Amino acid sequence: MDRVRIKIAGQSGSGLLSVGEIISSAINYLGYNIVTDREYPSLIKGGHSCFTINVSDKPIFSLSEGADVLVAIDKISMNAYLETLSKGGVLIHGGEDFAKDGINIARMNTKEVALASGGTAIMQNMVLTGMVWKVLGFDFEKIEKEVKTRFKKVTKEILDANIECVKRGYEGVETAQGIWNFEAKKTDNVLIDGSRAVALGAVACGVRAYYGYPMSPSSGILTYLAEINGKTDMIVKQAEDEITASQMALGSMYMGTRALVATSGGGYDLMTETVSLAGIMENPLVILIGQRPGPGTGLPTWTAQGDLDLAIHSSHGEFPRVVIGLSDIEDSFELVGEAFNFTEKYQTPVILLSEKTILESKISVDRKFFDREIKIERGLTEGKNHEEPKRGDRYKLTDSGISPRWIPGDGNEYYFANGDEHFENGDDTEKAEEIHLIYEKRMKKMVAIKENLPAPEIFGVEKNADISFVGWGSSKNAMRDVIETYAEKGVKVNYLHYSFVWPLQENAVKDFFKNNKNVNLIEGNYLGQFGNIVESQTGVKFKNRLLKFDGRAFFIEDIIKFIDKNGI
Amino acid sequence: MAYNFAKNFGIKNAPTWCPGCGNFAIQIAMKNALTSEGFNPNNTVFVFDVGCSGNGADKIEAHTVHGLHGRAISLAAGAAIANPKMKVVASSGDGATFSEGPGHLIHAIRNNYPMFFMLHNNENYGLTTGQASALTPKGAKMNATPDGVYLEPINSLQFVLSLNPSFVARTFSGDIAHMTAVFKEAVKHDGFAFVEILQTCPTYNKATPEAWYKERIKKIEDLKDYDSSDIWAARKLAEDMEKDIYLGIFYKDSSRENFLKMIPNRKNTKTVLVEEVKKHSVSSFL
Repeated sequence: MDRVRIKIAGQSGSGLLSVGEIISSAINYLGYNIVTDREYPSLIKGGHSCFTINVSDKPIFSLSEGADVLVAIDKISMNAYLETLSKGGVLIHGGEDFAKDGINIARMNTKEVALASGGTAIMQNMVLTGMVWKVLGFDFEKIEKEVKTRFKKVTKEILDANIECVKRGYEGVETAQGIWNFEAKKTDNVLIDGSRAVALGAVACGVRAYYGYPMSPSSGILTYLAEINGKTDMIVKQAEDEITASQMALGSMYMGTRALVATSGGGYDLMTETVSLAGIMENPLVILIGQRPGPGTGLPTWTAQGDLDLAIHSSHGEFPRVVIGLSDIEDSFELVGEAFNFTEKYQTPVILLSEKTILESKISVDRKFFDREIKIERGLTEGKNHEEPKRGDRYKLTDSGISPRWIPGDGNEYYFANGDEHFENGDDTEKAEEIHLIYEKRMKKMVAIKENLPAPEIFGVEKNADISFVGWGSSKNAMRDVIETYAEKGVKVNYLHYSFVWPLQENAVKDFFKNNKNVNLIEGNYLGQFGNIVESQTGVKFKNRLLKFDGRAFFIEDIIKFIDKNGI
Repeated sequence: MAYNFAKNFGIKNAPTWCPGCGNFAIQIAMKNALTSEGFNPNNTVFVFDVGCSGNGADKIEAHTVHGLHGRAISLAAGAAIANPKMKVVASSGDGATFSEGPGHLIHAIRNNYPMFFMLHNNENYGLTTGQASALTPKGAKMNATPDGVYLEPINSLQFVLSLNPSFVARTFSGDIAHMTAVFKEAVKHDGFAFVEILQTCPTYNKATPEAWYKERIKKIEDLKDYDSSDIWAARKLAEDMEKDIYLGIFYKDSSRENFLKMIPNRKNTKTVLVEEVKKHSVSSFL
């Protein structure tokens, strides 16, 4: 598969993010498919950051670890990322003259040019933007338009200086040969990250309150929902802590609206008692965990799939729950709505797992995708003046374990939502027989949930693959690109993806093992948490495990190396 | 006033409090106040904490939630935000409010959530058999502090009054008429109404029994020229926890907007959140 890989490296605060955003947005408008991600340290100024853009004429879903074009804003960043530059690649920089075998160099004294263009020293990033655009071989007008759109709020003087910087950068270098060898197609793609997709998914499915507390990498959802609340009229509340955020959501959901909470692992730790309360109250609750590597503060600005065990096993006591692993923009948008449908219908908590790499990577997605019909299923006993149910029916014993639930104040029946053990009418009980029955009723919902979960999805050939993988979360994205890469070579790679990771649908993985001879686990953590669950619940045994726990998402090369060693 | 148990929040299950517990009178006064202000079990939501006050949760007929220790305020705030057409009443004890979850109290006051919060202050952890709370008087011999509490107690009203509240009152579980009158004002308040109830605990609170309170209690209504809009007068009056203990409305500011009215994007919204759950197109955000 053809792809062009661009990396822009610099100190945090040096303006490299703007270069990345301008370039990626402009390329998206040209009609290419792109995937971007940001590597950055947990500080505001200093340290190296890197903005990576992969471009293709076909849909792509993940990143390569290498670069064909490396833009270095300073020498330290250049040294940190130079080895990722491929042979024949182009280094674009504004520092001291420098030579290295096997690479091409496009250099200008960017600081001097920025100052001579009426700009400030920081505007050398705009000179670099112009240089990149020319090296890639695109028309100046396209980048000029992008810069104008992005800087529409600044004074004309500042805008002109920015444009002049871009222009001089553009004019100062030559277009590289042999890097770009495909044409854009006519597309109507939007460039969007997972945080926005989650936020829009929430808006689309009728979420009316968002409660949060800032924590990377979930803060993007809070920020974006606050930014658009003039249009959505949603209540977006930054609570005093995570316990409060989860309790407020529980209270709002109890009253009958839809409320979302997002956090990261550490914040979720604080919410776990509330999750347990929702379990016994049989109250809807949806919490999204934006995963980053732990334990402790861990790596706040990096990525992981390490909180699956947390999501499945957190909170005291036993109660049913659904755990959903998001993987990409489409999932992030659609499965938020599914999470609310499940939590309301089955009256039990739903945990959404996302990852820093999904929440912050911008990916081009067909605009039409967001027009799809959203299904709202609330499982409520509705209508005024209920004849049935009565107060006593709130925790009624039923075959499915699901009892009537209705909105407080809607009709003439009130009920007791009890966090203490209770019997059918909600009143406290300590009688052995009643405890046994109500406990069983609650746990029975797990069966109904399992029967109604959407099936896991196979990517690549259905059966008889040369090598196979099972996984969840963002692993899907790298797997999709790898499957395509090998298909071009005539090698059959397939991948079984679980979006609904808990409760585990055993049959899908058992069949996958029956139909494929070399099945491996791919997972972004040390223990192989999902693999352990699969093995212990189904008796299958993964041939090998591809595990990554260094803060980075899977690059396609990680899988290629694994396949070359363990597969074919 | 005639009281109709069956209609007016009822009482279904046998109480589980000790004889002489302040909770009996508190529930009666609360039911009285709500009924006389026009509320009924269908438009009232009670959120209970864990502890002796929390054990009132299944002793009252209405929408009730029995939640977690220390978190009743936050759950109730979420409920009040979702549907302000319902009257939301949260109850917590002194342990929950001043040890387990004081952060929630601070921010509920700051946010002026439209709800009525009752602090059941019996100066100890009753349901766990009488440990000291942060409001137990110094020197009291309690479970787990057999040599006596060696820390100064927090002055609850001083604390609350320092946070720029919109409604602060104190009443006493030994005086149903006074409780009812104060609760009625709290129910009417459109914002976060904080009411401390000095609550007798005949089993574990030996330091300040009913007689101790009765000797010291004074009423704000008997103070000439007391201005309940003067926060400094309120703070001064709340200082004394030993000699003259005042009951009544310490401070009230009706001009303050509640949380929902402060949110810029909801200024012109006529519906409430529970009425708004439906599909929304997102195409305009792309």
